[in-house]
Amino acid sequence: MRRPALLLRKDLRILRRSPLLLAAAVGYPLVVAVLVALVGAYAGTKPRVALVDEAGLPPSVQIGNRVFRIKPALDRAGREVHIVRLTNREARHQLDTGRVIAIVRIPHGFVSDLRAMVRSPRLELETSPSPFSGRIVREVQAFVYALNQELQGAYIGSNLEYVNLLQHGGKGTFLGREFDVLGLGRTDRLLATEPQTPTVIKVRRFVRAARLALAQTGDALRATANPVALVRVPEHGRTWAFSAQVQAYALTLTVGLLALLLAAGSLAAERDENVIGRLPSSLGELLTAKVALGAVVAAVLGTAMALAFGVVVETAGVRGGEPWSRVPLVAIGLVLAGASLGALFPVEHALRFFSAALYDVSPWRTLAVEAVWLVAITAALSGLARLAARRLLV
Amino acid sequence: MTVLLAARGLTRRFGDHIALHPTDLDVTAGEAVALVGPNGAGKSTLLAVLAGSLPPSGGRVERAPGTSVGWAPQRAGHYGRLTPRENVELFARLAGEPEPEARATALLDALGLRDDARPSGVLSVGQRQRLNLALALLGDPDVLLADEPTAALDEQARERFWELAAERRAAGGAVVFATQAGDEPARRATRVLALEEGRLA
Repeated sequence: MRRPALLLRKDLRILRRSPLLLAAAVGYPLVVAVLVALVGAYAGTKPRVALVDEAGLPPSVQIGNRVFRIKPALDRAGREVHIVRLTNREARHQLDTGRVIAIVRIPHGFVSDLRAMVRSPRLELETSPSPFSGRIVREVQAFVYALNQELQGAYIGSNLEYVNLLQHGGKGTFLGREFDVLGLGRTDRLLATEPQTPTVIKVRRFVRAARLALAQTGDALRATANPVALVRVPEHGRTWAFSAQVQAYALTLTVGLLALLLAAGSLAAERDENVIGRLPSSLGELLTAKVALGAVVAAVLGTAMALAFGVVVETAGVRGGEPWSRVPLVAIGLVLAGASLGALFPVEHALRFFSAALYDVSPWRTLAVEAVWLVAITAALSGLARLAARRLLV
Repeated sequence: MTVLLAARGLTRRFGDHIALHPTDLDVTAGEAVALVGPNGAGKSTLLAVLAGSLPPSGGRVERAPGTSVGWAPQRAGHYGRLTPRENVELFARLAGEPEPEARATALLDALGLRDDARPSGVLSVGQRQRLNLALALLGDPDVLLADEPTAALDEQARERFWELAAERRAAGGAVVFATQAGDEPARRATRVLALEEGRLA
């Protein structure tokens, strides 16, 4: 192993003296990180959705005895999408040109249906055919779901006012007619002043039972409106940009391309410098040095990337994961993956290794299997590379 | 006379083109063999195959036991981002020289190469050729194979090279060189071989 070590030292010295190549090697992980961040930022952007208001939505709508304010409801419901109010024509143009990804149309009659509470008011959704249409439909479904929840709150509040009237009595309106209700409470108090005949006692029992039952109506209504409620706990764990998968992809891409470019470039440089054939070392020793070069550079830069991720995780207060304790495991993977080089770079195995090394609770079995794969592929590729180099370089 | 290096039915093809037809050659101790011929005659191919830098398509190269070969290709072969000293030391270490630093110093001095920090890639053509010859002389080879070794050298360096070649021959070695220089075969060679279209005349 003395000659490959000498050749490796020579390659590292040349690398250090090649400022452009070194800048590319150091800059490449940064470019990967920036690209990942950009993709992450894009993934986090709200899609623009046009709102076409053919119904002429008023600022608020009276539902029963309650006032439902539309603007704040839209703001709350539209957290996942960026709603822009447009005319029908403008919305159609923007959909065709891709500036909005969907149109939500509020047709004529929407407000009267909302007020009457007799049939469900309808919203119309139109999307353009695109790879994102599935996501848009889900976003708008979420928007309608949130709007429905706001309205359910208003409807339930309105219905509960009638229940309250039945319980405690008072003045109320229904379909524009005013009426005065005695109420179960006042009925009970009136009956208490009457002689307690068996009939009066029976009626009082019913009144009490009815009061108890109606007292539960509010919760029962809410439960009926939302048989299954989704409660969102505070955000926990790493953001998407720092996830194990993103790190694994960034490391794999970096290691793969760097190892391939450096080893292939370095081998080509040997030929350009006309030293192959006069070097007092075999082709196998030369290739071993190139494999080692890929492994060393991949390990150094990949570990630097893993440490940079760790620093960001610590300084940004990102929760979850173990940024430091897994670095040695990642370094092993970097050496193995870097050594396996080349056009047949085993992306799948490297990815599985890094994913398991970074976040699996019990990573050992996966690490062992993938390490065997990487070593075997390294051996196979080295053999092939020797044959190819003999044909191409000598 | 001891045969140090021999070609037996040596051929080399590049695709359909036959660069070297079956060739037999003995290189004996103490001689200086000049290969002459027009461009494309096969001189460089024969030397590269004899040096082991190019595998033969047929035939074989035989070396006497313990015989070492030094090879100076026509286009200088060394690492452009390393200094001349680093190049010589690296090749010396790869060749297993016991004292690579001392050997590098001796060769740089012998060929008049400046021992500075300039990378070899920025040297003049003549300086690079001196480095090329220094690498070929590493390990004191028994047979020195050199392809147009003096083409880019000035008069003084040329004389120095022939002195070093004579030292090799005097120590029981041999020199085989290709040349286009008109008087060099007559002045420097003990035997002149003419090559034409891949065949020894």
